[in-house]
Amino acid sequence: MKLILAGVLAGLLSATAAKADEMVFTSWGGTTQEAQTKSWAEPFAASSGIKVLQDGPTDYGKLKAMVDAKNVTWDVVDVEMDFAIKAAKDGLLEPIDFTVVPKDGLDPRFSNEQAVGSFYYSFVLAWNKGAVSGEPASWADMFDTKKFPGKRTFYKWSAPGVIEIALLADGVPADKLYPLDLDRAFKKLDTIKSDIVWWGGGAESQQLIASGEAVFGQLWNGRVFALEKDGADVGVSWNQNLTAADVLVVPKGAKNKDSAMKFLAAATSPTGQAKFAEASGYAPINTKAKAEMAADVVKGLPDAHVDGQINLDMNYWAEHRDEIATRWYAWQTK
Amino acid sequence: MTGNAFRRQSIAGLPAGSAGGLPALTLVGLFFIVPVVALLLRSVTDPEPGLQNYAALFGSGTYVRVFLNTFLVAAVVTAVTIVVAFPVAWMLAIMPPALGSIVFGIIILSMWTNLLTRTYAWMVLLQRTGVINRALMGLGVIHEPLPLINNLTGVTIGMVYIMLPFMILPLVGTLRAIDPMTLRAAALCGASPFQAFRRILLPLSLPGIAAGGLMVFVMSLGYFVTPALLGGTSNMMLAEMIAQTVQSLLNWGLGSAAAFVLLIVTMALYAIQLRMVGARRLGGGL
Repeated sequence: MKLILAGVLAGLLSATAAKADEMVFTSWGGTTQEAQTKSWAEPFAASSGIKVLQDGPTDYGKLKAMVDAKNVTWDVVDVEMDFAIKAAKDGLLEPIDFTVVPKDGLDPRFSNEQAVGSFYYSFVLAWNKGAVSGEPASWADMFDTKKFPGKRTFYKWSAPGVIEIALLADGVPADKLYPLDLDRAFKKLDTIKSDIVWWGGGAESQQLIASGEAVFGQLWNGRVFALEKDGADVGVSWNQNLTAADVLVVPKGAKNKDSAMKFLAAATSPTGQAKFAEASGYAPINTKAKAEMAADVVKGLPDAHVDGQINLDMNYWAEHRDEIATRWYAWQTK
Repeated sequence: MTGNAFRRQSIAGLPAGSAGGLPALTLVGLFFIVPVVALLLRSVTDPEPGLQNYAALFGSGTYVRVFLNTFLVAAVVTAVTIVVAFPVAWMLAIMPPALGSIVFGIIILSMWTNLLTRTYAWMVLLQRTGVINRALMGLGVIHEPLPLINNLTGVTIGMVYIMLPFMILPLVGTLRAIDPMTLRAAALCGASPFQAFRRILLPLSLPGIAAGGLMVFVMSLGYFVTPALLGGTSNMMLAEMIAQTVQSLLNWGLGSAAAFVLLIVTMALYAIQLRMVGARRLGGGL
């Protein structure tokens, strides 16, 4: 009897001990989070003994609610960079402990005091080879309904990307994009409004292009990569590809902050970044990662298409997020 | 909502202040009153005390447009649901009970399938390259794909399909309660089938139509997934707009204000309907 009791007690003790060595990682679900689990969470858990629980999808409202209620259950969250800049200003994020996370090798474009890069990606022009007439070559072609009839698909939400595409198509030079001329952008978008199908999430964008429902569109390069891997008949143009990044942040008051910092160190390490890039087709934010990657993978990354590449201005967006969103939804619902 | 009227009736028999109503009142208080009060408070205190959220709401053409569109979609969905549900309910009411319960089972079964799955299924059916358009073009009926999705048509089809059981159930109850002899009497007096329907069946089934219609209308007002996936941005409904405001823009004050206005308008409509149909008849329909 005593033996059983002791056994139960020991079991309980070890269970609480294990609980102390847990943390929660939250991302967007789908193929991206799967790749993050395989490339970061699993090797990290094996080497550190810290179990990484997965949650998702990322929800900015939930993140704010947790911080406001001082009951934060997420330790590391994958968010869009413009949101991270805004959230840091609003006091929602912990500063990154760069004594634990090595700064060496991190691409300065995608890291700051409260965030380290998760991965970076490009918006590219992708098309269904069987459905499109001819071969589109630039964003301007998406606005040419005579040459390219059929539906075109764009990202539905107010976020960096579509406004810039409209301005580029209208002839604004890449280095003159900011500050964004919203009037001009919406005027240009008006010309094709009835031909647009909006995609709200990555899977939807893949479905629209693969089925030919939309003949071409603005897609995340990783989603095109996944389509190609599945054998879909898609074409892609990297001309004027637009980079943006996801970053990893630690919400203010996260319960396992120390574990979180260690996790960030593993996720942003050259090895972690190289593995993730190979699994997802998104680009590493650690400049040393490429040395650890297969040559044919490096070829397909946004890194290999820096010629004509344009960096979406995350600081500009963080500052004008609300103002642009108001205009965006007003235009969209009209 | 319809449950309210029902409750009022059944509680009416109890002596005033009876302890019998307490658990129910506590439940309503905890799960309905408290959240609504919290919502109201947030709408006038976030980010600072004042009515600025309401000013922003009514001053913004976007929100007003989305509001109007929400009610338009709910009205269209309710009307179409009534028209489609009536024959089904009538058939169920006059069927032999054994067969009726099988058909009933099939209708209920559809409610058990995941909403998202059902909506995605409609996407596959309705899109330009979807089953319906392919079939019609294959048969040579049409040459250009019909625009069945990303517009009001898509939203209506998807939502009517989901709302049908909520209309059929109360209607069957009402129709079953109608004495079939009234129809025979009408026929004997020389009424055509259409006259019998219009003058006898329709008026007698009004309580069921009102109860089901109200339920469908109110549920439609707050719908999210189906309009988001089957509608276009110009048919955006309020729930989606609020989600965007709260989740992405973190403007909780404005989101709360929008939700509160929707609640008030819905309750006002309910009150008007109570007046018109009468609480007793509405409750009796269930």
